[in-house]
Amino acid sequence: MGKTAELLPGTLDMLILKAVSLKPLHGYGVLQRIQQISGDALEIPQGSLYPALYRLEHQELIAAEWGVSDNHRRAKYYTLTVAGRRRLRQETAGWNRLASAIATALGTTPEEV
Amino acid sequence: MLRRLRSLWRVIRSRRDFEQGMTEELRFHIEQCTDDLVRSGVPPREAARRARIEFGSLSSAQEECREARGLRPFDELVRQLRHAARFLRKRPAFTATALVTLAVCLGANLTIFAALDSILLRPLPFPEAGRLVTIFNTYPKAGVDRDGSSIANYYERRGRIPAFAGVGIYSYRTAVVGEVGSTKHEQIARVSPDFFATLGTGLSMGRSFTEEETSLQTDRVVILTDTYWREHFDADPGVVGKQLRVNGRSNQVVGVLPPGFRFLSSEARLYFPFSSGPEDRASAQRHSGGNFKHMIARLKPGVTLAQAQAQIDAQNATLEAYDPEAKMIAEAGFRSLVAPLHADHVRTIRPTLLWLQAGAFALLLIGAVNLTNLLLIRASSRSKEIAVRRALGASRWHVVSEAIVETTVLTLAGGLLGLAAGAGGIRVLSVLAVDRLPLGSHIAIDYRLACIAVFGAAAMGLALAAPIAWFNLRGHLRSAIQSETRSGTASRAAQSLRHGFIAAQIALAMVLLSGAGLLGLSLERAMAVSPGFRPDHVLTGQISLPSNSYPDWPARLAFNEKLVKDLARAPGVLAAGVVNNVPLSGNSGKSAATVVGHVAQPGESPRGHYSYGVDGDYFATMGFSLLEGRFLTADDSRRSARVCVVDEDFARYYWPHSSALGQRLFEGSEATTDAQSFTVVGVVGAVKQAGLTDQAAQGAVYYPYALRTDDHLFVVVRTSLRPELFGLALQKVVRQIDPDLPVNDLQSMDTRIADSLVAQRSPAFLVGIFSLIAILLVAVGTYGVLSYAVTQRRREIGLRMALGARPGQIRIQFLALALRLLAAGTILVTMGAWLTGRAMQTLLFQVPPLNVATLAAAAGIIGAVSLAACLLPSQRATRISPVETLADL
Repeated sequence: MGKTAELLPGTLDMLILKAVSLKPLHGYGVLQRIQQISGDALEIPQGSLYPALYRLEHQELIAAEWGVSDNHRRAKYYTLTVAGRRRLRQETAGWNRLASAIATALGTTPEEV
Repeated sequence: MLRRLRSLWRVIRSRRDFEQGMTEELRFHIEQCTDDLVRSGVPPREAARRARIEFGSLSSAQEECREARGLRPFDELVRQLRHAARFLRKRPAFTATALVTLAVCLGANLTIFAALDSILLRPLPFPEAGRLVTIFNTYPKAGVDRDGSSIANYYERRGRIPAFAGVGIYSYRTAVVGEVGSTKHEQIARVSPDFFATLGTGLSMGRSFTEEETSLQTDRVVILTDTYWREHFDADPGVVGKQLRVNGRSNQVVGVLPPGFRFLSSEARLYFPFSSGPEDRASAQRHSGGNFKHMIARLKPGVTLAQAQAQIDAQNATLEAYDPEAKMIAEAGFRSLVAPLHADHVRTIRPTLLWLQAGAFALLLIGAVNLTNLLLIRASSRSKEIAVRRALGASRWHVVSEAIVETTVLTLAGGLLGLAAGAGGIRVLSVLAVDRLPLGSHIAIDYRLACIAVFGAAAMGLALAAPIAWFNLRGHLRSAIQSETRSGTASRAAQSLRHGFIAAQIALAMVLLSGAGLLGLSLERAMAVSPGFRPDHVLTGQISLPSNSYPDWPARLAFNEKLVKDLARAPGVLAAGVVNNVPLSGNSGKSAATVVGHVAQPGESPRGHYSYGVDGDYFATMGFSLLEGRFLTADDSRRSARVCVVDEDFARYYWPHSSALGQRLFEGSEATTDAQSFTVVGVVGAVKQAGLTDQAAQGAVYYPYALRTDDHLFVVVRTSLRPELFGLALQKVVRQIDPDLPVNDLQSMDTRIADSLVAQRSPAFLVGIFSLIAILLVAVGTYGVLSYAVTQRRREIGLRMALGARPGQIRIQFLALALRLLAAGTILVTMGAWLTGRAMQTLLFQVPPLNVATLAAAAGIIGAVSLAACLLPSQRATRISPVETLADL
């Protein structure tokens, strides 16, 4: 396992939405998918994953449905709702703006001032 | 927000599924994690351990998940509800007292509010009912406050007052309806063609009346109410065009009114055209309203009452300019007043209802004070527990919400019981004949009132929680934990709050009681008024003579003569007579009389007098007293003698210094030829005409029936037995003369007098009930607080008794406390009682605002009750055993 980064506050929700947007997932799958798509760079505290999932479900950004897992066990699968998709788009755009602004700021050289 | 509530609701609905699913989901996670670790080569046991560690605390994750679903407040509420329910179950005496208090207080308020709502608040059942007005003539200086409106008024105003979108005129009557042999008496109304349109009511079938149908020859049409159509025509859809026999003539059905149509408090089931002849519409008849023809109008949108009034005034001024009687009319202070229809209809009952509501509210306050005290006592017994819990980290909000949940559970349960009590209360109202009040038969508890009751109960729960929460939060931790153990007595602030509440409660109860006393006294004084005749053993009944069978006065006179003769022969009859209207029937109209030789003084206005047509032995039957001359007899009527009898008020007004006998007067406001004048042949005692509480003595003139005939009459019979027993015999005698004629409104004169006091009796009775409840509540409240004080001071008492105090001293200590509370209450009350008494003057009859006897009686009763309520606890105080209490130290 390479170097992992702490999650910035508020980014877990965004990552969950992204993970679920690719394919319906159960909770453990969300955890794995986030680690996978971040190139194992992000460490998700497992205890806070489920409260986040429940909060997003409460806000109807994701929807849950019982299904059967790959190893034939009953598992709860989460999918993105329409509202969730919209939210993900907004958050992504917002994040990108923020990230590029910070990157620009941090990339400033003395000559540019 | 909505989304989250929806989501919360889904979870709450299947709470068990949610919990199971959550457990299963988390377990699945850990198992998956374990499996992955096993696959990567970790031994199974170690893998399971690591998976659990990596996940962290399962129960705190679950708790966070619940919170994420918004379940936390809900769970907390459920827990507090359970807690409250357990507490209420564990103290049945407290719970029962509280629930009964709430049920009675809320029930009383709901009952009165139901009456208030249906009579005063709910708009009349017509579209934009706020624009409906009534217009009536008034001649205040002649002593005639209301004289309805005349037919001439209607035709002069119709279409000529720009403020009005529509004008209608109506009057109530009775009619004999049905085929020969199966006739029935029905309440009917006569209405102008535009009456229904003015109200904004369409017909469910057929049409309204036409202009042609308002003339006397072509008015044989009828409109049915929905109930009449269903009862008598089996809801026949082809009823329009059918015939209905009314007063012996055939009338064609032209329309049916929609279901539920009811005009004000009218019982009319059939509507007829308001037909009249050209002479009725002439301007000479402008001032012949007579208080039984009434006008309604609908204001145009945006027009104010004042604008309408101004237009009516302007029209009256123009018309009076050409009136030969203009001077007299002006001197009588004539005006036509425009008033909102609804408010005008309920004007007499409005102050009474508002006062009753105030009384019921006072009751609610007393009950609330009681509950607050009981709850405060309980809170102080729990103050240690609360302080410990707060020390252990319970939040302020937690303490407050707990108090709110407890009181609200209590008040909501009480509110539901109060709904039931209110439903019962409405039945009490109907026993009190409240349905005779304007719009009084509409009183009911509907879903609106039920909602108001539930919201009111919840609001009361919040209000009651405030002092409890204050008390619970205010205590300093350490002093609370220490208090009420060996070193402590009751917390001083809580104690003075409780005592203040008791004093306030005593004051309120006394105001209520003295109000009830004033109303009762006023009722008693009204009942003690002599009506001026002997009402006992007199039976009265109304008969309407249809104009086709009895077209003129000789026919009516023949009927009267036969009726009186047949009645006189019936067993048990002492005397019988006929009059066009009995006193206290509720429709006494006044009219003018012109006295020969009377010169009006400057500033003296013409007077309206009660005038009657009498036949048979009317005066003897009713037990009038004869002051001078003689009574009118059947013979006067038969001969159409131009004689009359006046009452003492009339005689004293016009002939203060000489005898009235032999004087002459004219009926109406004009002196015509000598042949038309009436000679006074007798003076009788004055009687109460409109009600026992009549103040003004307007005077009355009695004419022979032949000269003042009417198509309906009252028959009066004096019997040797109870008058009610003679009812059937009276009906039989009438039917033998004319099988088509029913007798209505059969009532003894005593009953009529009692009924005329319904507006005084019902409030007195209701406020009496309220006061009784208030007294009980005061007893309960004083008892509760005093017995708590005794419990609180057990140790102190024990110690003092151990040191040699006598039981009497201990008892006096507690009685003195009660007396102090009582004294504080009494001082508050004298002021309050005087203010209420003054404000209640409109309801009172010959009773001053501050009646010392009433107030003293109220103070005496409340004092006795609260002292009695103290006796038990103070007695218990003296029986405290020093040994036991000191052992506690």
